[in-house]
Amino acid sequence: MYLQSPLPLGNCGTRLCFPYEELDVSDLNDWTPRPWLALQNPSEAVTRPPALSTEYTTKTKRSEAMMADEATRRVFPTEPASHLRPRSRSVKSLVSTPESSFWRTFRSSTLHPSYLHLPITSLSFSPNSSLLAAASSTSVRVFSSLSLSEYDPTLFATLPLPDLAYSPSFRCDGALIAAGCENGAVRVFDLPNDKPPKTLRRLNAHSCASRVVGFPLLDHKLRLFSAGDDALFVQWDLPTETPLFSVPGAHRDYIRAGAPSPVSPDVFVTGSYDHTVKIWDARVNSGTSSVLSINHGHPVESVLFLPSGGLVATAGGNTIKIWDVIAGGKPVYSVETHNKTVTALTLAKVRDDTRLLSVSIDGYLKSFDFSRFKITHSMRYPAPLLSVAFSPTGTIRVVGTNNGAMYMGIKKKKDEFEDQVGSDDFAWSVPLPEKPTSRKNIRYFKRGQSEKPSEGDFIIKRPEKVKLKEHDRLLRKFLHKDALVSVLKTQQTTSIMAVLEELVARRKLIKCISNLDNDELKLLLSFISKKATQPWCARFFMDLAKWVLEIRAEDIRSGGPEMAVHVRNLRSMVAHEIQVQRSLQEIQGMISPLLVIAGK
Amino acid sequence: MIVGGQSLVTSPPVFSHDGKKLLVCTGCTVSVFSTTTGMLITELEGHTERVTSIVVVPVAGTVGTKFSNYCWTASLDGMIFYWDFSTPDLLKKVNVQLPVHSFVIPNILSASLGRSDKASQNLYAFISVEDANKEVENGKHLHGSIQIYDLTNSTRAGGVLAETHKPETLAVSKSGEFVGIKKKQQLNIWRVPNKNLKSVNMKKLKLHHTRTLSCLAFHPTKCIVAAGDVSGRILIWRGFGKMRHSQDGGGKMKIDMGDRPGVRGEDDADSCSTWHWHSSEIKFLMFSSDEAYLFSGAKEGVIVVWQLDMGNKTYKPNIGSPLMYFTDSPDPSLSCVSCEDNQIHLLRMPSMDIIKSISGIKPPLILSELQGDRSRVTIGCDRSIGFVALPTKDYRIQFFSLLDGTDISHLQVIERNYDPVDETTVFISLVEVSDDGSMMSTVEEKLPEMGIGGLISLKFWIRGSHTGQYTLSTIIYEPHNNAGVSDMAFCPGRSMAVSTSYCGNFKVWVNNSSFIHSGDEIQEKGGWRCQSVSSYKEIPMTAAAFSGDGSVLAVAAETKITLWDPLNNVLVAIIGDSLGPIRRLAFVGSSEYIMSFSSGTKADLVVWNISNLSRHWSYKLLVEDICCTRSETRVAVLALLSSSDKSISAGKDGMVLVFDVENPIPVSTWFVKKAKGGRLSFINNKLGEATDGKLLLAYINGEHNYVLFDPSNVKEQEDLIPKSARRPQSYAHDENVSHGYASIYGELPSFDLTKARSSDSIPFVSSKRPWETIFSGSSHALPPLSKLCSPFLESLLEKAEKQTVLSQ
Repeated sequence: MYLQSPLPLGNCGTRLCFPYEELDVSDLNDWTPRPWLALQNPSEAVTRPPALSTEYTTKTKRSEAMMADEATRRVFPTEPASHLRPRSRSVKSLVSTPESSFWRTFRSSTLHPSYLHLPITSLSFSPNSSLLAAASSTSVRVFSSLSLSEYDPTLFATLPLPDLAYSPSFRCDGALIAAGCENGAVRVFDLPNDKPPKTLRRLNAHSCASRVVGFPLLDHKLRLFSAGDDALFVQWDLPTETPLFSVPGAHRDYIRAGAPSPVSPDVFVTGSYDHTVKIWDARVNSGTSSVLSINHGHPVESVLFLPSGGLVATAGGNTIKIWDVIAGGKPVYSVETHNKTVTALTLAKVRDDTRLLSVSIDGYLKSFDFSRFKITHSMRYPAPLLSVAFSPTGTIRVVGTNNGAMYMGIKKKKDEFEDQVGSDDFAWSVPLPEKPTSRKNIRYFKRGQSEKPSEGDFIIKRPEKVKLKEHDRLLRKFLHKDALVSVLKTQQTTSIMAVLEELVARRKLIKCISNLDNDELKLLLSFISKKATQPWCARFFMDLAKWVLEIRAEDIRSGGPEMAVHVRNLRSMVAHEIQVQRSLQEIQGMISPLLVIAGK
Repeated sequence: MIVGGQSLVTSPPVFSHDGKKLLVCTGCTVSVFSTTTGMLITELEGHTERVTSIVVVPVAGTVGTKFSNYCWTASLDGMIFYWDFSTPDLLKKVNVQLPVHSFVIPNILSASLGRSDKASQNLYAFISVEDANKEVENGKHLHGSIQIYDLTNSTRAGGVLAETHKPETLAVSKSGEFVGIKKKQQLNIWRVPNKNLKSVNMKKLKLHHTRTLSCLAFHPTKCIVAAGDVSGRILIWRGFGKMRHSQDGGGKMKIDMGDRPGVRGEDDADSCSTWHWHSSEIKFLMFSSDEAYLFSGAKEGVIVVWQLDMGNKTYKPNIGSPLMYFTDSPDPSLSCVSCEDNQIHLLRMPSMDIIKSISGIKPPLILSELQGDRSRVTIGCDRSIGFVALPTKDYRIQFFSLLDGTDISHLQVIERNYDPVDETTVFISLVEVSDDGSMMSTVEEKLPEMGIGGLISLKFWIRGSHTGQYTLSTIIYEPHNNAGVSDMAFCPGRSMAVSTSYCGNFKVWVNNSSFIHSGDEIQEKGGWRCQSVSSYKEIPMTAAAFSGDGSVLAVAAETKITLWDPLNNVLVAIIGDSLGPIRRLAFVGSSEYIMSFSSGTKADLVVWNISNLSRHWSYKLLVEDICCTRSETRVAVLALLSSSDKSISAGKDGMVLVFDVENPIPVSTWFVKKAKGGRLSFINNKLGEATDGKLLLAYINGEHNYVLFDPSNVKEQEDLIPKSARRPQSYAHDENVSHGYASIYGELPSFDLTKARSSDSIPFVSSKRPWETIFSGSSHALPPLSKLCSPFLESLLEKAEKQTVLSQ
């Protein structure tokens, strides 16, 4: 049995002797896959200290085994630790998310409606046509044809008002528009296509500025609500010009915000400078007390029902807060990303989702995803922002500033389906339940490997393979010097640092340095002479430079002119650093008495 | 009292005959684990010293299921026990009188206790015993000896087979034909005769090598023996003993010197070949059951599979710890490998995938001498749930539940590939868990090479939804520049921590992070930031502690204790001098006392009074650890006894003292073993019966064995590492009142084991109250029906009797 074995049995137990290591005959079988034999020629091996070589052989053998199976344990590549990276103070580079790419499809333009640099206090879109009403100084301007091709909107109409105009609001069918006024009067206009607008009704109840005017969102065409600085809240019957529901002293301060409920024509929310937000129900005539009162904590600038009608968003101070009305005014979330007062809120349709847009005095427009409670996008404008509107078709976004400029963004026609969205069901629609995909189709069963996952499928990902770089692979083979050389050639400082630190952890750095040949030593020296005095890695490199010069003094001396250049560079760099340190010490000496005095 | 933390890897484990159970030596007991679930089924309790070897009785053919769960165990207390490990019942005791280090039964197949045929021979065991009292002969200390023991008659059979310097491990071939030991640079092999086993009949065969051998294995059928040496070489002798063993007692046959490659001198073998792959001492060798492969393993954590004919090899790498033993089961698709980190991996065989792991508490991290006393690896402890966080060698933290004695989870702290061969240069030096377990901090150190590239970093972790699941919150590189972190403490009830350093300052860290819910994940924003830095006269800060309400921070500046207001960073008071540098501080509950101890030459233990800034009482004691309760004034102290102290018995080098802080006289005292590196902690008791909020004291010794006990109940002077039960349920009633069957019909005649053997069956010796536990436990661990039936009927009888008593 034994003699038929193909091994050279006559030599069993005897060993071939190489100049640098002891090798068993049985090892000859796997002669070829040994990387170390290919790498070392005998002449190089003579210069190598024997202790190191034996280290190489056993470890190389082990590395073969390591490479065979990596599934059971995690593999960590040598990554530059974050302490090695120089701390940058630059702004993070723009990350492209689906949301940001959506907002980038808007082409922006600027518009000065009044040429008077007066603030644009309110903006409103007509629900079913592309009319935009902007309140600025004593007039409400209605623009039309905010079309996709034409950036310069034509002025459709100007609504005359006796004093400063506030809060234009379209009726749900877009036929009427109402606006408040500084003197308290609320006026309702019609908007015929060919004739100039006509004042239909004048509603006089407010004694001070009527800052909030609004039609109900549902098909209730004869009602209107208004609120104003006199803390009066009124629901009007339009044909008769009489108040149906009136609450004098609804708040203890100016009412500056209000909104109708999307689910009931009789429910309203108002927000006031007395920090509270109150919910009113016209069906409950209980005097001056509201259905619900919530304390926002800051003077409320804007309030809004979210599409479900159960959540209310309020803006005041630097914060936007989301409240659960059905749960009795429970705070749900607080957004504190603006740096100055948030002035206006609106809803926007982003692809299939709805976002809450907020603008602030700090010049930022932010898009907030209230289903995930996350800020998804923010845009900066050059002026403090006072108002914002988003068209029901989801194609136009307008912000108004305090200097009379309107910044408009019109969506380039990219996504076809967005135009098909009906006007009225824009924000308030509940998505229909999706049809379950049919499994009866024969094609479902015959689908092959190239089948793409459909939307509802749960994708199980293959475990990601750790990407190993050249130096990592060499380190795993315990070829420490080759790893060092290969990473030095990449000239990436952080990677080089990571490999050097890994070598320190393996106690192999000094050996590696002493094994470098002249060309490789030049590489290392040039790297050190460039980086030695960088503050974030100086402690490491100064010690390293000292050791390199100490260990390889002979080679450096006989290394030729190139080596001498590196050493000279290093010396001049150290001299310069010493000078810097000295001047820093001088400055410290000057400052420290001042600090002592300041401390007293 | 709960005892745990025994090592699972002191001796090789053994599979039961069907491969469904695994018998593991755990200290004084043998634990039986299920191989399908990896859970503990039962324990064999009876030995008083460490169990060293187990032999399972194999089942041959028609003998049936009666012996299916029988085994022999040998221990250092000089006893050999015969068990039925399904119930578990102790069936027979054999007293050898000398500590047994290894024990094999070669002819266990042919001769079993209670075989039906009368011709069956006696059961002989080869035992390797230690005789420490042996005289010194010719200047040689021959402590170990190999003997043959007749288990049937409980007598020694003949004299000594061999003498060794220290007790050696015996190896036996599967067929029971050969028994061998390694003896320095040679192998000693005996052929076991089929009949008439006497030590005079035994012929010894020697095989020589030039290096010290470390292990050996026999081929299952052929005359092949493999041995591994300390340099990592594997030697395979083929056709050994053909000449010597073929002629029993005959004269020396002339050995043919030609054509015997690799065989040294006059060794009796056909050939010897050498394989070399491992770089360090071979720990195990094992032939596969199909006789084609040889498994070998060593420190690298790689199982090498050698093809026996060609010497080609394949590998099973990434086990991640030095290997100890490899055991194959009767089921060819299952085997297990024991690792040095106290884990047993069950392997699915041809592919060698890890199916299940049985893991015990991790052994302590041993550092090289480079660091000296300065860096001590500490163990974190969560008082509320009773788990400890142990740093392990492979850059992880093991969370181990003391109350359940199970491993909870592992956490990768340093993202580095672990290689068992490398010396430890990167390690976790400090683990601190906050009182409620919601926060954890770790300090990791990287030692510099020749002064280059050392790095210390501090990591803060936040608990996830499960116990023992932590997520990384913040990494702080070089928290105190170059200097090491000496201690960490969390402020109770606030997310605040303090780290002290040897460079003379301490930093207060606060967490002002907000959580952002994004989808199902919770993202943390912000993190831990340094709130303030303070120092006291640039003296190295060595310890820190927060008071119970978090309002006072005490930091030890070598010999002084400085008290600070942590919020405003104001020095409040200084309490003066202890004798040496203070190692640890602890506030005593909500009282006005603070406790400190220092080590070194001027070791002392001091209780300070904060209200009048003076020393309350003190001892000159070398203290290892202190711990205080949060509410009461009790204090537990672990003190090391000096070696000169004569009053202590052997092995006990420390004691646990419980004080009431008002009084310097200890309330109770216990002596303990291996106290160096031990830890103490009070733990809330959450076991069923004691919900009165009593605190248990946990003592973990230097080898990570632990004991949990109620300090008010356990008697003083008792040994704190008991030899008995790990689970205390069987202690309830032990009085000898006759129950059930016996109370009605009187005592049954006692069984005689020898008689029973001749009468065709083994009677079982039932434990005293089997019906209490008879149907409890998992179904796969239940004893056979024949055993269950009679005690069950008996339990019915007992019930009836009780009812009659009631009716009277």
